[in-house]
Amino acid sequence: MVTIVLNKYKLLDKIHIGQQKLEDLLFNLKSEVKPIDENNIEIEINADRLDLLSSDGIARAIKGLLEKELGEAKYNVTDTEYTLIVDNVRTRPYALAAVVYNAKIDLEELIQFQEKLHGTIGRKRKKVAIGIHDLRKVDSKTIEYKEVPLSYKFVPLYGNKELTISEILEKTEQGKLYGNISIANGVSPAIVQDDGEVLSIPPIINSNKTRLNENTKDFFIDVTGTSFEAVAQTLDIIVSNLAEAGGTIGRVKVLKSTNSSQLSSPLLLHRIQNVREEYVKKILGIKTSKEEICKHVMRMRMNCDIENGAIRVTVPQYRVDILNEIDVVEDIAISIGYNNLEPSKYISTNYGSYDYMTLLERKIRELGIGAGFVEISNFVLIKDEKLFSNKYVKILNPITEEYNAVRDSLIPGLLDFLSKNQHAKFPIRVFETGDVVVYDSSTDTGFRNDKRAAYAIMNNKVSYEEIQAPIHYILKSLGLEVNYKEENNNIFIEGRSASIFYENEKMGVIGEVNPDVLIRFGIEYPAVIAELYISEIGKRLINQR
Amino acid sequence: MLSENEAKILFFLKDLKRTNSIEISTKIGIPESSVLSLIELLREKGYVKTEIISEKYYVLTEEGRKRKESGLPEDILINSLNGQEKDLNEIKNTLDEDFNIAISWAKRKGLIEIKEGKVIPKVKTYTSPEYLALSNLEKADINTINLLKKRGLIEEKERKIVNVELVKEPKESEIGISNLTREMIVSGEWKKYKLRKYNVEAFPPYYTISKKHYFREFLEKVKDIMISLGFKEINTGYIEMEFYNFDLLFQPQDHPAREIHDSFSVEGLGNIEDKELLSNVKEIHEKFWKYEWKQDITLRLMLRSQTTATTARVLASRPKAPQKVFTLGKVFRPDAIDATHLIEFHQLDGVIIDDNFTFRELLGVLKEIFYRLGIKEIKFKPAYFPFTEPSVEAYGYLEKLGWVEMCGAGLLRPEILSSVRIDSIAGAWGIGIERLAMSFLNISDIRLLYSNNIEYIRDMKVKIE
Repeated sequence: MVTIVLNKYKLLDKIHIGQQKLEDLLFNLKSEVKPIDENNIEIEINADRLDLLSSDGIARAIKGLLEKELGEAKYNVTDTEYTLIVDNVRTRPYALAAVVYNAKIDLEELIQFQEKLHGTIGRKRKKVAIGIHDLRKVDSKTIEYKEVPLSYKFVPLYGNKELTISEILEKTEQGKLYGNISIANGVSPAIVQDDGEVLSIPPIINSNKTRLNENTKDFFIDVTGTSFEAVAQTLDIIVSNLAEAGGTIGRVKVLKSTNSSQLSSPLLLHRIQNVREEYVKKILGIKTSKEEICKHVMRMRMNCDIENGAIRVTVPQYRVDILNEIDVVEDIAISIGYNNLEPSKYISTNYGSYDYMTLLERKIRELGIGAGFVEISNFVLIKDEKLFSNKYVKILNPITEEYNAVRDSLIPGLLDFLSKNQHAKFPIRVFETGDVVVYDSSTDTGFRNDKRAAYAIMNNKVSYEEIQAPIHYILKSLGLEVNYKEENNNIFIEGRSASIFYENEKMGVIGEVNPDVLIRFGIEYPAVIAELYISEIGKRLINQR
Repeated sequence: MLSENEAKILFFLKDLKRTNSIEISTKIGIPESSVLSLIELLREKGYVKTEIISEKYYVLTEEGRKRKESGLPEDILINSLNGQEKDLNEIKNTLDEDFNIAISWAKRKGLIEIKEGKVIPKVKTYTSPEYLALSNLEKADINTINLLKKRGLIEEKERKIVNVELVKEPKESEIGISNLTREMIVSGEWKKYKLRKYNVEAFPPYYTISKKHYFREFLEKVKDIMISLGFKEINTGYIEMEFYNFDLLFQPQDHPAREIHDSFSVEGLGNIEDKELLSNVKEIHEKFWKYEWKQDITLRLMLRSQTTATTARVLASRPKAPQKVFTLGKVFRPDAIDATHLIEFHQLDGVIIDDNFTFRELLGVLKEIFYRLGIKEIKFKPAYFPFTEPSVEAYGYLEKLGWVEMCGAGLLRPEILSSVRIDSIAGAWGIGIERLAMSFLNISDIRLLYSNNIEYIRDMKVKIE
């Protein structure tokens, strides 16, 4: 989800509707409106509709839904004398450019538009970066995109003195943020005039020379990146929205210095997408006709023709989200309005079924309650220091040290819980069922969820039998006649701890908690704990069915 | 109404007519202090007449106890001489610290003479009357008592004794008992007595009650709803490959959400046997997203960030239509933890694969799920998810909060279905459960769903639905 902030009045003025109507229409364009202050509103735009990231794009879409303008928007396009020579730039090889004349813009909004494109299709400038310049401050008709040494000097945007690229990398915010994307082998990509003066070093920063101001009407736009398609789409979206603001799009000749290929940009890419009437009906579950389908497509600002009984949709350059026939179907549904599509009556014709483990877990929870334990629910994530084994899953990028690992037993969580309830009314008798993660080389990830149940009693005085008795009869209720084998580990007191076995398979552990462990968890009272391996128990029970 | 102990005293008095508190205590076996208050109660009820008297009595001092054990010093002296003379010095050594006492009392009683450093006994054996009195203070004459007092072997004390006289005979039916016993019930003896009244309006002592966890109960309710709608439950693990969490779901590898801070990464790589599936996914990604798809990225391990990963695993198994499955489980996302955000929470994901499934049917399923959860009013908004088209968000109307976003859903993209060779149409959805639970449980802080305060959990009201 991307948000943009727009001046409410300027936007409403472009489409001549009231605020409520605007909100309703935008809601149906996947967007939500929140007021910020008297003048400004915040609009949430979905990441697929890049064309809606400016007020001009929003106006274009809304005019369609209001049927003030239907089909593809028509913009003036003209040839110019500008040429972009694209040299071999190793880190981001693709570059295109365009000129726009006479567009009425809101400078702040244009900068926001550029930033939001950087964040979405640009993948934080890694995939695509945009430079927008005041055309009148560009001194040459031939612009070059090439690698320059880091000793190259120019005045960066909003700067007042010349800096080398190296200095820009060290001293400016943008240099620190984006320098590592494109700088390699001691050179930086650069957009330069034919006299060698730098206009921008993508994706880092523009030159102060061609800085925009409120009165800028004519623009030179360069787009560079690592994907030709993304570069072309980005440029198409920008020039389209500037043209929506009254501008005339100017074509720039693009020459590749390494070979003789030549093209002119913006490409204003159009694509024909065939749409089948039957497909639309089948997907949406509605009755409709080709004519109606076309009308909806036109309302979504795309052209639509019926030729020899086939529906041909022309996808304009600003609708980069339309990949396939299904995307047109969604647009048709949006035009109809989702809330005008009556939901079908749901009729279930079959029985559902529970995962066996869910059923077993439920029974075990009931038995836990019956045995007098209060059910609790802890987090799966935990601080690694609280775990007893060293074979747990560690998170490589934890958000806090408190939760930097995945639990491989329910016992640490229970001990944590006990430590926080030492002032509560005694006795504390609690249990939890839930998943832990353990190593398992037989799975495709090398890990497996393991379902467990764990029980704890804390009191002024507790004994092994106090926990053994309920656990024994919980298992007996499940039909498991278990036995206990003394087995010591680092959780329990030596000689007061056992493993629980059924048919020679370990089903859990039980014991009095070692005072060293109590102290480690800050617990001042004795405690007894048992952990049952529900997954193991489940395997036995399934086999016995 | 008489208590059991009051009755015991009265029955004891019935034969004796008169007695005192000490006797009652020793014969009935009730501590003296209790006897005094019981007698007072009986007097108030008019059963007995009482007379309080003070009585002096004597108890042994520390030294008295010692002498009672080993004898008085002069007795020991005389008996050790056995009629023979002995040097004073020799006697001093044997008697040690008792020497002076022994000599002076023996002299005073005329039992010995001392001449030229020698002790000459006048009798062969001696047992002093004081010694005999130590074992039997009650029978001792006044002179002996005074002598013992003077010698510091006993001390005088005073106690209250209540003389009791029966003035009214108790009736058996007046006797109340607190506890029924098996014997009473079996013998029919209980009929003789009255069961005492309690203060039944007083509050009881604290009692711990075991109960299921409120949030777990909500999760189970959600599962029940899905089962009642004909869905099959499945579950998969928390550790997942990016392939199932992202790639199979048409989310490009260079998408910002793949960056390290938008999901939790885990060391290691998974393994996918199905090479055809891998190459199908690669082909689709490269065709539509136009970038170089990398296998080592897709195999990276992570904590699943959506239960749609479980749905992806269902798809990867290439199921035959029709299918209706769901999963309800934990997902993990890096976020700042506060009243509305946790880094782990539950999602309900479901998928229907059917030849004749439509978008309107998807809306119908969502409406039905929410209806059964208790949300009667629902509206739909177009949305964007990489793996669905058309995509939709459902908003439910909640009494206190108004319209709240409830879920994301859509028809699975044909690119995804073709990669797993499913010819049918499939609808899928994901519902965040915690926010729903908060509104149904009337909880304003999401962290309370995982409270570690046992009193909060014990006090939580049970929902009846």
